Amino acid sequence: MADIASRPQFTGSRVTRLEDARLVSGQGRYLDDVEFPGMLEVAFVRSNRPAAKILKIDVEAARKLPGVKAVWTHEDCPLGIKNAGFDCTQWVLAKDEVRYVGEPVVAIAAESRYVAEDAADLVQIQYEALPPVLDVRTALKESTRQVHEGKSNVFFHRERKTDGFDEAFAAAEHRLSETFIFHRQTGAAMENRAFAAVTDPFTGRLTCYCGHQSPHELRSELCEMLDLPENMVRVVVPEVGGAFGIKASMYPEYLVVAWMALKLRRPVKWISDRQESFLADVHARDGVHDVEVAFNSDGTIVALKDHMMADGGAYTAVPFCGAIGETVTAASVLTGPYKIPHQATVIDCTYSNKTPLGAYRGVWGPIASFIQEGVVDRVARYLKMDPAEVRRVNMLSDEDFPYRNPSKMVYDKGSYLQSMEDALRLIGYEDFRKRQAELRKQGRYIGIGISVFVEPTASASSEAGSVGYEACTVRVEPNGTVTAALGLGPTGQGHETTMAQLIADQLGVDVTDVVVLHGDTDSAPFGGGTGGSRSGTIGGGAAITAGREMRQKLIKLAAHALEASEEDIELCDGKAYVTGVPAKSMTIRELAQLAYTNVKGLPPGMQPGLEVVARYLPPFRVSFSNGTHIAAVEVHTDTGKIDVIDYAVVNDCGNLINPTIVEGQIHGGVAQGIGEAFLEELRYDRDGQLVTTSMQDYLLPASVEVPRMKIEHIQTPSAAEGGFKGMGEGSLIAAPAALIGAVSDALEPFGVMVNAMPVTPAQVLAWVDQAETSA
Amino acid sequence: METTKAREVVQITLQVNGEAHTVEVEPRMLLADVIRHKLGLTGTHVGCEQGVCGACTVLVDGEPQRSCLMFAVQAQGHDITTIEGVTPESGLSPLQAAFQKHHGLQCGFCTPAMILTSEALLRKHPNPDEAQVREALSGNLCRCTGYQFIVDSVLDAAAQASKKEGQ
Amino acid sequence: MKPAAFEYVRPDNLQGALAALRDHPDGKVLAGGQSLIPLMNFRLSRPQALVDISHLTELTGISVVDGAVEVGALVRHQQLHEHEEVRRLLPVLSEAAGEVGHWAIRNRGTLGGSLTHADPAAELPAAAVALRATVVLANADGQREVPAESFFLGFLTTDIQPDEILVAVRFPVPPADVRYGFAEFARRPGDFALAGAFVEMGGDASGSITWFGVSGGPERRELDFPDDAQARKAAFAELAAEFDTGEDAVYRRKLAVTVAEQAYQKAREGRR
Ligand SMILES: Cc1cc2nc3c(=O)[nH]c(=O)nc-3n(C[C@H](O)[C@H](O)[C@H](O)COP(=O)(O)OP(=O)(O)OC[C@H]3O[C@@H](n4cnc5c(N)ncnc54)[C@H](O)[C@@H]3O)c2cc1C
Ligand code: FES
Ligand code: FES
Repeated sequence: MADIASRPQFTGSRVTRLEDARLVSGQGRYLDDVEFPGMLEVAFVRSNRPAAKILKIDVEAARKLPGVKAVWTHEDCPLGIKNAGFDCTQWVLAKDEVRYVGEPVVAIAAESRYVAEDAADLVQIQYEALPPVLDVRTALKESTRQVHEGKSNVFFHRERKTDGFDEAFAAAEHRLSETFIFHRQTGAAMENRAFAAVTDPFTGRLTCYCGHQSPHELRSELCEMLDLPENMVRVVVPEVGGAFGIKASMYPEYLVVAWMALKLRRPVKWISDRQESFLADVHARDGVHDVEVAFNSDGTIVALKDHMMADGGAYTAVPFCGAIGETVTAASVLTGPYKIPHQATVIDCTYSNKTPLGAYRGVWGPIASFIQEGVVDRVARYLKMDPAEVRRVNMLSDEDFPYRNPSKMVYDKGSYLQSMEDALRLIGYEDFRKRQAELRKQGRYIGIGISVFVEPTASASSEAGSVGYEACTVRVEPNGTVTAALGLGPTGQGHETTMAQLIADQLGVDVTDVVVLHGDTDSAPFGGGTGGSRSGTIGGGAAITAGREMRQKLIKLAAHALEASEEDIELCDGKAYVTGVPAKSMTIRELAQLAYTNVKGLPPGMQPGLEVVARYLPPFRVSFSNGTHIAAVEVHTDTGKIDVIDYAVVNDCGNLINPTIVEGQIHGGVAQGIGEAFLEELRYDRDGQLVTTSMQDYLLPASVEVPRMKIEHIQTPSAAEGGFKGMGEGSLIAAPAALIGAVSDALEPFGVMVNAMPVTPAQVLAWVDQAETSA
Repeated sequence: METTKAREVVQITLQVNGEAHTVEVEPRMLLADVIRHKLGLTGTHVGCEQGVCGACTVLVDGEPQRSCLMFAVQAQGHDITTIEGVTPESGLSPLQAAFQKHHGLQCGFCTPAMILTSEALLRKHPNPDEAQVREALSGNLCRCTGYQFIVDSVLDAAAQASKKEGQ
Repeated sequence: MKPAAFEYVRPDNLQGALAALRDHPDGKVLAGGQSLIPLMNFRLSRPQALVDISHLTELTGISVVDGAVEVGALVRHQQLHEHEEVRRLLPVLSEAAGEVGHWAIRNRGTLGGSLTHADPAAELPAAAVALRATVVLANADGQREVPAESFFLGFLTTDIQPDEILVAVRFPVPPADVRYGFAEFARRPGDFALAGAFVEMGGDASGSITWFGVSGGPERRELDFPDDAQARKAAFAELAAEFDTGEDAVYRRKLAVTVAEQAYQKAREGRR
């Protein structure tokens, strides 16, 4: 039996995507394209107060409006969302009290969204204001009002310290401290969130449509919260217009819509508008970190200390509380690729009167990277050393793997130092430094920022839930084409292509003969979904495993039919051959017909049909991807504008399934990194109103902000099937730190070390000013 | 002069993708909603209803405009082209094929409007340089791709077209 | 985000539009809709009636009459940007029109709409002030003309009356020795400017600057431009210090100086 996997035709090659033909011609079916006769549309009346008691809700006028079917308050839909880890429930329609601007209070179902909004206008709510809690430092004070009466504002506290930390910290030759600040941001997918539900009058089953990253997780949550058995609920994830973590959560609107479909016996749908999206999609990155670092004169860093504070918002999101992810996970890889032996962390996650914090691509990553790289850059500047050199001094080297970091995370083999050296070459580091010196003389400021990242991927638990494995069914249809199904929740990553590449190579068929289904709990096997950079590795492992099982079955069948031994059968070009006797062959189609229709022709003991389901659990808790991003920027000291003038990436995510898709993921993550570093900020005013509720205020990078990137790959295989590592988040983990580092480097003559993201033009000018006045 | 009272419905005829469609609408209905939900042409997407994201862009008399910032009643007498109108009966248009070839899309939500805007650009400037392409597409946001492969797609489609022209 | 219901009036011509406006005191004119419809989608604006003028071809002309370029109210920003005569006679106007929003917005937004909406950060109101344009307003009873400088009354407010339609804007062709420069700064191209400026320079050092984005509306100031760069920036800063900038005052004032200097340099390069 020849080993197909050793000479794959599709795995690793730049296969164009199978999903594209429908998408480029406008034939993709996104959620708002799902319609049923009699469908009602929902609008919500949301709290316009950050914190208030609800005194009275008057819905009479709204109920009377023609075209309105239902106007619901808490009493009509007394469901709640509760994260099992915490003592806090969010009622899907606020009960007695509102805790953030945007919290749903009243739900209206009407014949159209236009009418639903007309009715929403007629609802009157009387509030009694409470003093809002708006930032983490305030929330931490004993004297601050409790966001949830009777419960501490600190919903999570943890302290960790390596043995000998204090001694090491005290013994070091130098110490520096800095506060790092992360402003609120969000995933802002181009397609807004949405949910539709319809019941089948005959079976009573509830079908829910939702752009979600984990179809089975969503079903489990719906069943639990609606108290329905799992075989009575079907979740269908249609085409999804981007997700980036925000579509991994359970949201109040989903339960309201499902409940309405059940109670009103009508198909119901809710499509978020963009304003709702900014108010009510989970937010991310709201943290303050008081950091101290101890190091020696040769640049070696010996100890790192961080008081990590995260503002979790009003409720602990389900299933993934962002504040926890952004601190606990950050703490577990805070030293990144540097061999820093000692670490001490104190974590505080608090409630506030702001939108709940959930997942956004990279979650903890941009935070930990910014701190880890920011610390290295500060050490370099303090010691007047080259930043690349300080990195070399501290970097993990080949003999260190497997490396156990101070948080006891084990890194598998990577290419940390090599990725940095390659990236330095790609960007032309030495030349850049020369150019920088020349331009400075002319009053122009360019800078370079290095970000060497670690990306824990394919881990057992992530925002996609805590299912550590993935499952795949592979069915060869009677005509020889292949249908596979996985429990993943792709939202643009191209799984229909990458999974098909893996399966096609196992079966020796053309990649276009493999159709990959996903996102329908009726057809897909139970799986964890997409999040935490797990699909390629764990989903890919499942696809390979299922493909291999099918291959074995086909080989057995062919050997029997062709009267050859199994070792001599080769699957290739849609056929089974006998090695060395090319005339002796059968097409997959012939084999399939045999399997389905000629029960007597099967080898003894073989079941008819060609269908397998396989599950794959990787042999590790987590696998680390790595790489280096280097950004070059020019900072204009007359306007404060920052232009990204060059960008290099060297990425190592193990073996590549499809380099083009990997590069697309990198491009997208870097663009988001530019947003994170320079543009995107969810701003609350002093009264607790979110003031960035439109795309004119929440600035996303456009085509002119994002530079051309130079990308190279290194492939250090993981121990997983196929040798893949995850890579969906690495680019956004690394990019902000590189970009911010470049700004600090550019503004070095002004003594600037950036400590907050995003950096605004106004901030840049303030720094320049300050330096000029003090000079 | 025609007057339609609030909440009253009027019958209008829209010329979309070369075909006349007669539909009943309230004057307040946005062109995007009518194209999507009355004509069933769901390739036009809605991302912000504020003119910023660009996902709803259609061609009005050949020029890109926002269908979320126009009432359907105003579109009477104009030629509207949606993504369905630039898709050949079989296969893909050169631009569509270039987007596939260069991985110019991920989730695909921004894609129809990107293609329509690029279509209009190439009609106006058959050989744009990279800066022109980026400028023309700067009103179409994409959260997935980081734009590089989109720009490559458009530049390649232009290059292919001028190669053909030259032959 | 769906607009509230309104009565929709589609007149056949300008006279009809003016009559409709007289009969609907709580009605609003709908031109390109690029400012009005977003506000309606957010339900920040809920007009009882809309008088749609977007299809009235009588307001779409650009002509050169008596040493002035007369631009119809419905001329789209992109048309203004690309128009040959405008490019030749009023290059800064063309340049500024090209900076309004994105291509798709410019293909629909109109000059009349931009001036009437009077966003403080809008390019074209400031261009009208800088270029000493005259705004032509009509109601059912007749027309009146208002110098651009007195048309803008502050944040989103102008001298236009509820029964009036802005029908045209007349830009005098500047004398041969007067040169203009235009510059603005926005976070991203297509965004409203954080600050912008038009500089007008006569044959001697005298001239004026018209700023936008730095306060409630266009701000025109006469001055003699010092030759010395430091002195010039100091003069700009002194003028900018008066603006009621609201948020980010220090930053806005600094930007005002930067864009004024950039516009000055462009004017020096000799554009008209
Ligand atoms: C995403 C986006 C970005 C933008 N960026 C910019 C920018 O950078 N700079 C900029 O200047 N603008 C920008 N705009 C606004 C754009 O320029 C608008 O086109 C313009 O402000 C309004 O013109 P309109 O024809 O669309 O007017 P409408 O929206 O139709 O009307 C605006 C107001 O003026 C009134 N009105 C319109 N025409 C007349 C008339 N002839 N007589 C009397 N009243 C009238 C209306 O009743 C309404 O109150 C942007 C818009 C969007 C959506
Ligand atoms: S939906 Fe029209 S521009 Fe975003
Ligand atoms: S491909 Fe997803 S928004 Fe562009």
